Amino acid sequence: MDESRTSDYTLVIMKNLNLLIILYIAMLMAHSLSGYIQENSALDFLTKIYRIPIAAWKIPVIVIGLYSSCMLLLYIQNISSMGLLLKVCVELGISFCISYVLGFSYTGIVLLILADTMRYFPKAKWKFPLMVVMCLFYLLIDYNLIAAYGNITPFEAYLEYFQVDVQYILLGIKNILNSLNMLVFLVYIILLMRAQLSEKERILVLNEELRQANIQLENYAKESEKVVKTKERNRLAREIHDALGHALTGIITGIEACTTLMDVAPEATKEQLKAIAEVARQGVTDVRRSIKELRPDALEKRDLENALIQMMDEMRSATKAEIVYQCTTGLNCFHEEEENIIYRIVQESITNSIRHGKAQRILVHIGRKENMLKIHIEDNGIGCGNVKKGFGLHHMEERLNELQGSLEYSGEKGFIVEAQVPIRWDAEGKHD
Amino acid sequence: MDSVKSKKNRIVSIISILLLFCVWLIYTDTYKELPGIRKEVITIGVFSDSYWQVQNGNSYQILEDAIAVFEEMHPGVQVEYVSGILKEDYSEWLSERLLSEQAPDLFYVLSEDFNDFAEIGALKNLEPLIQKDKEFQKERFYSSAYESGKYNGSQYSLPYECAPKLMFVNQTILEKEGLEIPGENWTWEEFYEICKKTTRDTDGNGTIDQFGAVGYTWKEAFESNGIHLFNQQGTRCYLTDDNVEAALMFVEKIEELNDGYNVTAKDFDLGNVIFQPMSFSEYRAYKPYPLSVKKYAGFEWGCIPMPSGPDGENVSTLDSLLIGMNENTRNTQYAWEFMKILTCDTQIQSEIFDYSEGVSVLKEVTESDQTLQSLIESSGNTGSLNQQILSKAVENAVVAPRFRNYDEAIEEVDKAVYAIIEGDSNISMEQIIWNRKINGYLEKR
Repeated sequence: MDESRTSDYTLVIMKNLNLLIILYIAMLMAHSLSGYIQENSALDFLTKIYRIPIAAWKIPVIVIGLYSSCMLLLYIQNISSMGLLLKVCVELGISFCISYVLGFSYTGIVLLILADTMRYFPKAKWKFPLMVVMCLFYLLIDYNLIAAYGNITPFEAYLEYFQVDVQYILLGIKNILNSLNMLVFLVYIILLMRAQLSEKERILVLNEELRQANIQLENYAKESEKVVKTKERNRLAREIHDALGHALTGIITGIEACTTLMDVAPEATKEQLKAIAEVARQGVTDVRRSIKELRPDALEKRDLENALIQMMDEMRSATKAEIVYQCTTGLNCFHEEEENIIYRIVQESITNSIRHGKAQRILVHIGRKENMLKIHIEDNGIGCGNVKKGFGLHHMEERLNELQGSLEYSGEKGFIVEAQVPIRWDAEGKHD
Repeated sequence: MDSVKSKKNRIVSIISILLLFCVWLIYTDTYKELPGIRKEVITIGVFSDSYWQVQNGNSYQILEDAIAVFEEMHPGVQVEYVSGILKEDYSEWLSERLLSEQAPDLFYVLSEDFNDFAEIGALKNLEPLIQKDKEFQKERFYSSAYESGKYNGSQYSLPYECAPKLMFVNQTILEKEGLEIPGENWTWEEFYEICKKTTRDTDGNGTIDQFGAVGYTWKEAFESNGIHLFNQQGTRCYLTDDNVEAALMFVEKIEELNDGYNVTAKDFDLGNVIFQPMSFSEYRAYKPYPLSVKKYAGFEWGCIPMPSGPDGENVSTLDSLLIGMNENTRNTQYAWEFMKILTCDTQIQSEIFDYSEGVSVLKEVTESDQTLQSLIESSGNTGSLNQQILSKAVENAVVAPRFRNYDEAIEEVDKAVYAIIEGDSNISMEQIIWNRKINGYLEKR
């Protein structure tokens, strides 16, 4: 962190240095131009450079205007990749204009822009082509190269206004400033690389910690699953023991009593059998109650339609996936068992779409065709070319077969599940 | 947090773009168009004395008249000029104005500066204006004068006034020697014959004191022998052509007549030389009283076209004063209108014969009776100048190609010609050697 702050300071130094250099050159040029006019050697100057240069007062004004606008652009932060590309293009354009006004005697602003752009490189796309283009740009904006294609006033023509010894000193100062700019650029790069290296190290350490934590979490999950299973098994055992065991024991004892009583007191036996039937009935009720406890909680409290809506709501809020639900038929004419299956099919399909298909959009359509209920679930996920039946699909299919229903699915374009459940018209309303 | 940053970014980009826009306004001078700054004024750069090296008190007369015509046509638009700039300072003054981007919208261009100013991009290419303007007829100009405003094949200026080079003849000597004044279509042979006959020692003191010609150089010989020294782009020199050799030999022959005596213009002034090539403007300047008394007092003289060589015609060069438009003028249309008044208005152009020493660049003006009248008035002599000779000399005048460093190239040729004439070796060999040297120079430019 400390190193990146130091590199930021270096960038500030570089900005100020560049301002100093371009101001120095612009003022020299302006001074020499007005000097030529004052000394009445304008004609000589014009026939030497063979073009009309920009007026003396305009050079510093234009250069400062361009540089300020470039600095403002450098100030922009946190932008998208497209924005970065646009920003770099405009900045390079401005640096070209500044160099043009200064007769391509100074091109170091490209280095400043390169230095600024490199701050984005850890996150930016296309960093490699961008860097290559900028380096090429820096190499190609050279006075001699451009002078071959266009008429540019060389900086030396302006310098010639001064005496020879002064010329050397002025040119020397310019070269020193130019080299200084390069040096600062180098320092900046080194600092930036060090900052990025230490950043990488830190990320590596954090990654390792995260991995360890993950492994631990996985272990916890496995253990808790085991615990749940054991609990469930215990409960089932208890239920069976309590409900069925109790009833069966009663029945067995009752029947044994009947066998001895039957010949002695047929009337009492009849009574006894009635009592046994009551116990059996009670046992069935208890078994029903136990099964009821295994039903989805939602279905316990609501009817099927509302339970589906609630489940989808929860899914939506838990996963941010867009789930569209359309239902064109009433859903209150099913047996509990059928309700369970419908509920599980929808739930399982949505879970599959999100978990395996990474779907963003899921369409659930429930409709009726003749005496078949049709459930159609479609997603925009990655699908899968070769569908391997997992436990979920297998289970769904099995349960549908029990009801004389059918299940079809395909994974070519997203994932599509189509289930058909026969509607039994003899059953009016719910059985309890 | 993010939205605050993106808002900040947006504001910063907008300010930056605004700044760039301001820079563009300043760089292109567009800010001068802004309301409050824009002025309905066109400026013209002129010099106070005559182009033809003659002092005259009427330097601004034609300009003032033209301004009056213009301001009547375009009320509300003013024409301004800076007075008091001498011709010798004019080029420097104009350069300083160009350098500080304060050059006038229109300016006179001396013919020796025309190449440089066109090359540095100070002059506007007039072709688009000419093509757009239905009224403008280039046929009204003498083609040679019109050509002299061309650079690289495009019109960069219009001629304002011109003067052809003519051969001045000392009629007094000719009469004394019993010779006729040569006709309009006279040739090198006639020229040489007259020179040969008249170059002699008249007072018998052993030295030659009467000469055939002064100031007749290779340039005049080349022009009248149909020689085009350079191509239009100024990349090739044609010094090896056959007619060049003939011209060189002719110049050498004329020189030899003087037997080593260095004849000067002063000898002509004193009345001892028959022929001297001179600009028509000098004729105009020295003919009228009282200057003529001071300069050519002792003899009668007139002017005729140049003699023609075996491969050429009776032609010579044309010196012209041009008017150019500033490349960066913000009043192109007004400047063009004023330029047309100065160059194409018959009234203004005819004033050249009244207030200047040049010749109008319009055929109809130069050939008009009014012009004949004013020429006769000012010279007081009807026989010395034929109006048709003048018109023909202008029309047929040679226009030198326009390219960068033309003057330096001519100097190179000058060096070459003197080296060839002075040298003893074979002329054709020398021509090839020097041609190669000059071509080398032209390529390096």
